[in-house]
Amino acid sequence: MLTAAGLVKHYGGVAALDAAGITVERGEVHALVGENGAGKSTLVKIISGAVRPDEGTVELDGRTVAFANTRRAAEQGIAIVSQELMTFGDLTVLENLYPLGGPRRFGLVSAREMRRRAEPVLADLGLNVDPSARVETLSLADRQLLEISRALLQNPRVLILDEPTSALPRAAADRLAKTTRRLADRGLAVLYISHFLEEVMRIAQRVTILRDGRTVLVGEEISQVSVDSMVSAMLGGTAPPAAARRERAVRGAASVALTGISVPGRLRDVSLTAAGGEVVGLAGLQGAGHLAVLDAVCGRTRPATGSVRLPGGAVPRSARQAVAAGVAYVSGDRKGRGLMLDQPLWENVTAVRRLGLGRDGPLPSRRHMVDRTADLIRRLRIRGGPYDLTTQLSGGNQQKAVLAKWLDADPSVFVLDDPTRGVDIGARAEMHEIVRDLANGGKVVLIASTDLTELVDLCDRVLVFQRGRITEEIDGPELSEQALSRAMNAGFAASL
Amino acid sequence: MPAALTDSAGDQRTGDPAGRPLYRRLVRDEFGVIAVLVVIVVGVGLFHPDFLRTGNLLSITHNTVYVGLMAGGIVFPLAMREVDLSVGGMYALCMVVGAVLIRDGLGTWITLPAMLALAALLGALNGVVTTYMRLPSFIVTLATAMLFRGAGLALADGKQITDLPQNDSFFTFLGGNSGGVPTAVWFFVVLIAALTVMFTRTRFGARVRAIGSNPEAAEFSGLPVARTRIAALSLSGLMAGAAAVFSLAFFMAGDPTVGQGYELTAIAGAIIGGTPLAGGRGSVVGAAVGCLILSVVASALAFFQVPINWTTFATGGVILVAVGADTLLRRFRNPRSAGA
Repeated sequence: MLTAAGLVKHYGGVAALDAAGITVERGEVHALVGENGAGKSTLVKIISGAVRPDEGTVELDGRTVAFANTRRAAEQGIAIVSQELMTFGDLTVLENLYPLGGPRRFGLVSAREMRRRAEPVLADLGLNVDPSARVETLSLADRQLLEISRALLQNPRVLILDEPTSALPRAAADRLAKTTRRLADRGLAVLYISHFLEEVMRIAQRVTILRDGRTVLVGEEISQVSVDSMVSAMLGGTAPPAAARRERAVRGAASVALTGISVPGRLRDVSLTAAGGEVVGLAGLQGAGHLAVLDAVCGRTRPATGSVRLPGGAVPRSARQAVAAGVAYVSGDRKGRGLMLDQPLWENVTAVRRLGLGRDGPLPSRRHMVDRTADLIRRLRIRGGPYDLTTQLSGGNQQKAVLAKWLDADPSVFVLDDPTRGVDIGARAEMHEIVRDLANGGKVVLIASTDLTELVDLCDRVLVFQRGRITEEIDGPELSEQALSRAMNAGFAASL
Repeated sequence: MPAALTDSAGDQRTGDPAGRPLYRRLVRDEFGVIAVLVVIVVGVGLFHPDFLRTGNLLSITHNTVYVGLMAGGIVFPLAMREVDLSVGGMYALCMVVGAVLIRDGLGTWITLPAMLALAALLGALNGVVTTYMRLPSFIVTLATAMLFRGAGLALADGKQITDLPQNDSFFTFLGGNSGGVPTAVWFFVVLIAALTVMFTRTRFGARVRAIGSNPEAAEFSGLPVARTRIAALSLSGLMAGAAAVFSLAFFMAGDPTVGQGYELTAIAGAIIGGTPLAGGRGSVVGAAVGCLILSVVASALAFFQVPINWTTFATGGVILVAVGADTLLRRFRNPRSAGA
């Protein structure tokens, strides 16, 4: 159906792809896995017409094709749902479904016809939203489904899903996985890119693995591989560092204390204390309130009642005050909240200390800033130089840069909000190691994550939220994905 | 760092700046606009050698000082995704206020700082209203532009304010020549250099660029966004005030109708010089050179005996061609960033 072979692509002097290929058949879910920077995105961009290869060919139904742009590829039946959400928040669901204008009547766009065509697709994906609702009112999971609906409305023959579940909570990810299988059963060829190897095991029939721009495993039956064998293929034989459970450090004096805080519509009378030296997880379904706690600690929401105390007794009344009081906010939303992508790496890495806290004085020495950046690049093993534009780093390296800019400011409280979203296993393990070191060094670490294994790997204890309250605390030995999932969904099962 | 990441020719992407030739380090992104300016000047000179006379070139530069200073200041709000449409009105108001103060007997050298303070204050007012009323600076400065010009008109009763002490050192020095060059041009060079250092090397300049690059990330990183916005708009006002000082010193009159449309010329100059409205980047030198290009073209048209009424038309054309050529050049030099 779709065959790409012998693809080579160089960016400057760096080979992004070097002899890579893949074959996706009708009716299968074909997984493409590899570490960040292995070349997955480049391969997908070539197939979808966004980038032209230096060498190699793409064939569709036996005919060689060379798409001039993504629109040509779409016309040939190749639809892509990319990792970054590409929805237009100000427009309605319907308008988002037809970015090119949609069906017309008397020369005008026909909303009725749009609605008629869209409704079965939306229902099929389980997306129960008002088609005239503005997209910014939708949850992240619904927006992801909206993107898939948009792709399906093009009647594609090949559907490319680039890390569709990386931003989704567990239940929505499961639903999406099932939907993907069903689409393939109907004859669609699905190319599925994911970092979640268990998920790949569950829904794919075959898998292709990229390492350093080469295909190291080509279209292997999923029954012939395991999570472990895929990991070693991705990393080139070396096993990932085992996530050793951390000895709980001696508790530092610093602590964050929330006392009876309420935020209308988000939190009701929540109290919690996180001490230096421990990693405290916050878990919950969407809207459960755990993220409101992060907002309160970071000074972005001021609680209606109750108080937030940071180390040293400071009360965060604004984001700026929180940063000044030593709170770091490491966001998985690196494009929006994390980085200035159009600036060189050093401008980003030194931004908090130099510009937020102003600790380098009114005339910061550029040489000094670049040196500090180089140190952090080494410490976090970021692939890139201080002068590289941040947009040119891979997702994993960008995420490390977000961590680096906070480490540069040496805060005492780390608030991690999905800190490894869309990051490959290797980088994720390295980031986790650093978070453990921070806790061991007496820092307070609060973490929320859509990835439950991350909470299990990192946390000393996890507070589970439902409807704005803490409903359960899961500690040390009892902490497991199953226990978390059960606690998050407890009481909801009957209504589902 | 792997060699492969640093050896490519892409200028701003990689590479140690210390490894570049000195002139590239100094002008970098401004190279394009400066080249365009030189080509136009030499090109016109080929047909009309008189155009290249020092006197003519100096007079063109002198005429550009007022808009050029405003353009240098306006780079700051533009680089942080704000805009200042009030500089033209502010320029007129400051000139009228200065003329009134001098006419009524205040010392000229006390009037000067008073004019600058007024301008900085009015600019800060733009910033305060924008920040605390949560309005776009476009709308706020659109309104204050009329407020300022209207205040100037009312204060001057719609007429020029003349009968100033023309032999005062304020007029003879700031409005005259020093070493054969208009004093205003010397100050222009110095101020543009100072603003460049401020934009590229200071914490304030870096904050301006950071906020323009990603306002949300800036907020989350604890940057003083409100304070920086007020300072940037205040600086833009201050430069309009500086323009008013030199203008008053040269013309020896306060005219409430001067500087109509200067704000748009200043913005056009800044854009030609490589300060995109999208923010995050900018160049003070580029803005000044952009304004010079506009002046040179207008002056060249006179040499070619194009009717004066076609000047505005030609200016529009220059803006389109200059900005378009810049985009094309960038794409040519760095084809990867074009699609991204």
